[in-house]
Order: sequence, then structure tokens, then C-alpha cells
Amino acid sequence: MREIPYRIAMQEALIEEMSRDEKVFVVGEDVQAGTFGVTSTLVQRFGPGRVIDTPLSETAVAGTALGAAMTGYRPVADFMFADFIFIAGNEVLVNAAKWRFAHGGKVNLPLVYMAAMGGGARNGPEHSMSPESLIMHTPGLKLAVPSTPYDAKGLLKTAIRDNNPVVFFYHKRLLGLRGPVPDEEYTVPFGVADVKREGTDVTVVATALQVQHALRVAEEVKERVSVEVIDPRTLEPLDIDAIVRSVEKTGRLVVADEDTERCGVAAEIITQVMERAFDALDAPPKRVCAANLPIPGGFIEASVLPQPAGILAAIEAVTGRALKV
Amino acid sequence: MPLTSSQMKTLYANMVRARRFDEKIVQGIADGKTVSFFHSGLGEEAVGVGGCAFLRPDDYVWFHHRGHGIAHILSKGGSPQGFVAEHFGKATGACNGMAGFHYVDPEHGLLGFSGTIGSAFPVSLGWGVAAKMGNRGQVVVCFFGDGASNRGTLHEAMNMASVMKLPIVWVCENNLYAQFMPLKDAFASEDIASLAIPYGMPSKIVDGQDVVAVHEAVQWAVERARAGEGPSLVECKTYRFRAHSEGAPDVSHFELRPPDEVEAWKKRDPLLLFRERLLQEEIATVGELDRIDADAAEEADAAERFAIESPQPDPSVLQEMLYAR
Ligand SMILES: Cc1ncc(C[n+]2csc(CCOP(=O)(O)OP(=O)(O)O)c2C)c(N)n1
Ligand SMILES: [Mg+2]
Repeated sequence: MREIPYRIAMQEALIEEMSRDEKVFVVGEDVQAGTFGVTSTLVQRFGPGRVIDTPLSETAVAGTALGAAMTGYRPVADFMFADFIFIAGNEVLVNAAKWRFAHGGKVNLPLVYMAAMGGGARNGPEHSMSPESLIMHTPGLKLAVPSTPYDAKGLLKTAIRDNNPVVFFYHKRLLGLRGPVPDEEYTVPFGVADVKREGTDVTVVATALQVQHALRVAEEVKERVSVEVIDPRTLEPLDIDAIVRSVEKTGRLVVADEDTERCGVAAEIITQVMERAFDALDAPPKRVCAANLPIPGGFIEASVLPQPAGILAAIEAVTGRALKV
Repeated sequence: MPLTSSQMKTLYANMVRARRFDEKIVQGIADGKTVSFFHSGLGEEAVGVGGCAFLRPDDYVWFHHRGHGIAHILSKGGSPQGFVAEHFGKATGACNGMAGFHYVDPEHGLLGFSGTIGSAFPVSLGWGVAAKMGNRGQVVVCFFGDGASNRGTLHEAMNMASVMKLPIVWVCENNLYAQFMPLKDAFASEDIASLAIPYGMPSKIVDGQDVVAVHEAVQWAVERARAGEGPSLVECKTYRFRAHSEGAPDVSHFELRPPDEVEAWKKRDPLLLFRERLLQEEIATVGELDRIDADAAEEADAAERFAIESPQPDPSVLQEMLYAR
């Protein structure tokens, strides 16, 4: 199978969906050029009427998608950095999330809010966040967080076809990651976790970049411990069944996620597992997340963000085995 | 084109209807039937009625929260039954009882509402983008208060709408106060219409107690928008006869407006002014107008009965309201 970068896989999804349905359009700041190389080239194909560059106005970007979706368009709005969603918090978290519910199910919002999440680029406190828990916490939104080019393409196509507001976080450090993507058309369903690596001793649930970290650690320690890596791929809907099944097999759970630890995605997943399968656990679960601090810039960034070494340490803690080489 | 006498009578009828329904919701608070709070629009009926009369059904309207939009809704063809039932918390409400005070009717270009002031601008912008893309001559009429004009979303949306030459009519219902904040302490210029200058659009200031003046100004802007000439701003100087809100949560019963100011404005009741004019210009007879008054009272009583007899929503519907399939 051919291998293409994550950002090109996303671009293919946009091209295919814009060709398939003329109601799909892209809107955001500098989407014609494409800050992260995702929406680049679309304007040459579809013209500025469907690849709309806006002024530097996040509430306007969010509102364009919100309003147009109500009338039957299927907008894909790009916020550039995930941190910038806060600027349009009222549009995304209050209005997009609640609109259908508050109007008795009479108005659907088939829109996608895309943004680049994640640190590792040393971009400092306002350009490095992974606010997954904020979105997951908000009823009415769906949330996709792809970790591979295959998932990035398939999930984005599903997001565009979904009749609800979907937040789609692509990870900055994965944009250039190459991986197999078939030539034929496919989609990846929401709410179906993917077992990225099978194992028997410990379950590591990870999202986005942390999936790649977990896979690397699992490979390093494979002689001493068998690690199962599960990627939920979407956090709302969340495939908790798949996670519980895995924990029932391994008896041990680590959750690695780049959002801030406190009240985070890992906390939610672990709570749900404890409620459903407490007796299956042989050890207290462990979280590997960003520290409860803003994400600093420069070299010190790495001290706050979750690292492969943290996943390794968590696996050691839940299995009680010394694994350091 | 001057209004025909039958159109003039429609304006009168819609103002009377708006007033009767507004009074029903006010009375409903005293009677314990209105389950939420209410922001009465008594005294401001001419703005919604004049601004929405004779729009196309497929034109989009963001109604103002005064009267919870009743003047706009009725003039746009919305059902008063759904309006009253929603306020009484019933399953037959426009939003199936899910919002308590919102209204939605996609068939008549009423795609919903949000209680966070300033939401009007980004959403209307999105409707404007959709209207322009659809290229069927649809326009958007966005009503907002003087207080709403203090929100930053106004800047983002008005600027982008002008840059993109979107078919939007911005209508300010300037009633001189935002809850307990006088306009002179909250806005750095005298007229909201002065905002038209930085955003490069034309504007008009009209007497908001004169339904024909409002209609003519909005019609002028609607025609510009339909012709592809972009947005305009209409400011209507008006006044509310009742408190900012009634029912929970405001229990302060604070009134900062000087009694003689309130009394002076009450003499400029838009309904009485227009009734006098219709009689003076011999457009309608006393008998005709009395008939309209009686019909409106009967319609309001029937809607109230319908709301009282309707069931409350069943909690089993909550989940299906949240996400579309
Ligand atoms: C974002 C936001 N801030 C504050 C409020 C509370 N609030 C509701 S209406 C209102 C006054 C709005 O004034 P204006 O826009 O002039 O409309 P008016 O009520 O005078 O018709 C306020 C402060 C709110 N609902 N949303
Ligand atoms: Mg006001």
C-alpha cells in the first residue's frame, strides 16, 4: 500500500468530500495557503468561493460555520491552533453544542471545527494546547483525534458527513508522519476504537501523538512485557466497551493523553473503567498527561508534556516489573 | 413603493398581535404558567413588525430578545401557539419545550436563537455567507440591542460581512439601556448607526415608534442586499415600557429610568400612534381596527388554552434531542 503523510491524508479527505458534495466548503484564516499544509491546494481546485479566507476573526470563522450549517451547508472551519477555540468559546461550546438540543431537534448542524493540537513544537503557552477534555466535557459536540494518516483521512471524511458539530483535532507533531493509506475510498466510523497493537499484560489507551509514543514504548519492552495499545480515535462517542474488554484481558490500565491531567480525558476513561470493571483491575490505573501547568515554550516544554519515558514508568508501576534498559 | 392600505392593516394587526401575546407571557408569570423569565417588548413592537413585514419566507431573521422575538416571529409567519407553549414549558412548544423561551421555525427562515447576547452577529454572518453562496436573492435581517453592540462579535461580523459584501441588514433596537446600563455610559458615540462608517456601509436612523418609518428603512436596506450591494445598518430609536426582565432570576426590581422619561415615551406608544394615523388618513375605520383587536385577543386566548392543555415534555426524549443521526 502507498504511504502518505498525515496532512496529505487529510487534504485528500477534503478534496474527496468537496468533490462528492457541493455543500461542503472550507473557511478560516489563511486556509487558501494552509498554515499546516492541510488545506493548501484546495483553492486551486475549488476556487475562493469554497475555500474562504477570513479576516483574523475567530468568532466570525466559528459563526460562519454555525450559521451556514443551519441552512444546509456542510462547512469545515479551521481555527489553526486548538488554543484559539477559546476565543470562539461561545460559538463552539455554547451555541454549536446546544443548538440542536435547545431547538427541540429541529435544526441540525453538520459542521466540522478543525484545529491543530499539541505541543512538541516549543510554540509556548498559547499555541500548544490539546483541549480535548474541554470538548469531551461538552454535550452536543463530537470529538475526533486521529493518530495515523489512515485514521486522519477516514475520520475526517466521517466528520464531514456527520450531521452534528464535530471537533477534529489534528496533531502538529503528526502532520509529516507517513503511513499506509489505500487508494480506494474508505471511511473510519466514529465510536470504534482501534487496537493499534495487541498484547496481554497491560492496556495502554492513548490518543493522537501519545499513540505513537505508546507504540514505540511497547516495541522497546516487548521482550519483558506484552503491551496492548488502544486508540479510541473518537472521544465522543467513546468506545468504552473496547477499552473494558481489553482491561478484562490484561488486568492493568494506563491512559496516555496530552491534555492537562486534572479533570482530563484520562481521568474520565479511568473512572468509566472503574465503574464498569473494577474487579478486573489487578493494580491501580495510571495517567500519563500534561502536568497541571501551562505549557511552557523552549526547552523546558518537555518537562510539562507527557513523554515516552512517562508511559514506560506507568507500565512499570501497574505491572510491578522493572523495564528500564 | 408605498404600502397599500391592506399592507398597512397587516402592520397594525401584527403589532396588536405582538402586544397581546407579550401580555399573555407577562400575565403567565403572575399566574405561574410562564416557567422561565421574560423580557417584555411592550413599546417596541414597531421595530420587529416593521422590520420583518413583507420579507420572503426564505429570508433569515435573527430576532431580538425583547418580547422574546414575538413581533418578529409573527411578522415572519411563525406560529404563536408554539411561542406560548414553549414559554409554558410544554412539549408542543416551538422547541418541544427544550429551551423555555427560544423559538424556531425553519420553514419561515427562523433558525433559532441564543441567550448569550452578541451571538446574533456571528450566526447571522454565517446565514449571510450561505445566502450569498445560494445565490437566490435571500437576505438576512439581524436585530440586536444597543447593549449587544458593545460585544466584540459585532466588530468581527460586521467587518467580515462588509468585506464579503454579504446580504445582511443589521437592525439595532436602541432602547437607550442595556438592563441597568444607560447607553451614554456604555457606548462612546451618540448613535449606534455611527458604526456604519468604519465598516464601510450606509445607514439610516429612524423613529422606532413609527412602524412605517422602520419598514421603509429596512426595506431600503433589504433591496440593497438583494441587489448584491452588501450590508447596511438601520438604527431604530425606541423604548421599553416594562422592566428589563420579569420572573426569575432578576428579583432586584431595580428601575433606574426617570419616571418622567418613561411617561414621555409611553405617550409615544407605537400602536396608538399608528392607530391614529390609520384613522386620520382614512385607511381603516374604527370598526375594522376594533375587529382586528378582537381577533388578536381571541387568537391569544386560544393559544394560551392550547398551551395549558398541552403535556409537558417526557424526559425520555432528552437523548434523541442531542445528536442527529
Ligand atoms: C453575553 C451576555 N451578557 C449578558 C447577558 C445578560 N443580559 C441579557 S439582556 C441584557 C441587556 C441587553 O441590552 P440590549 O442589547 O440593549 O437589549 P435590551 O434588553 O435593552 O432590549 C443583558 C445584560 C446575556 N444574556 N448575555
Ligand atoms: Mg437596550
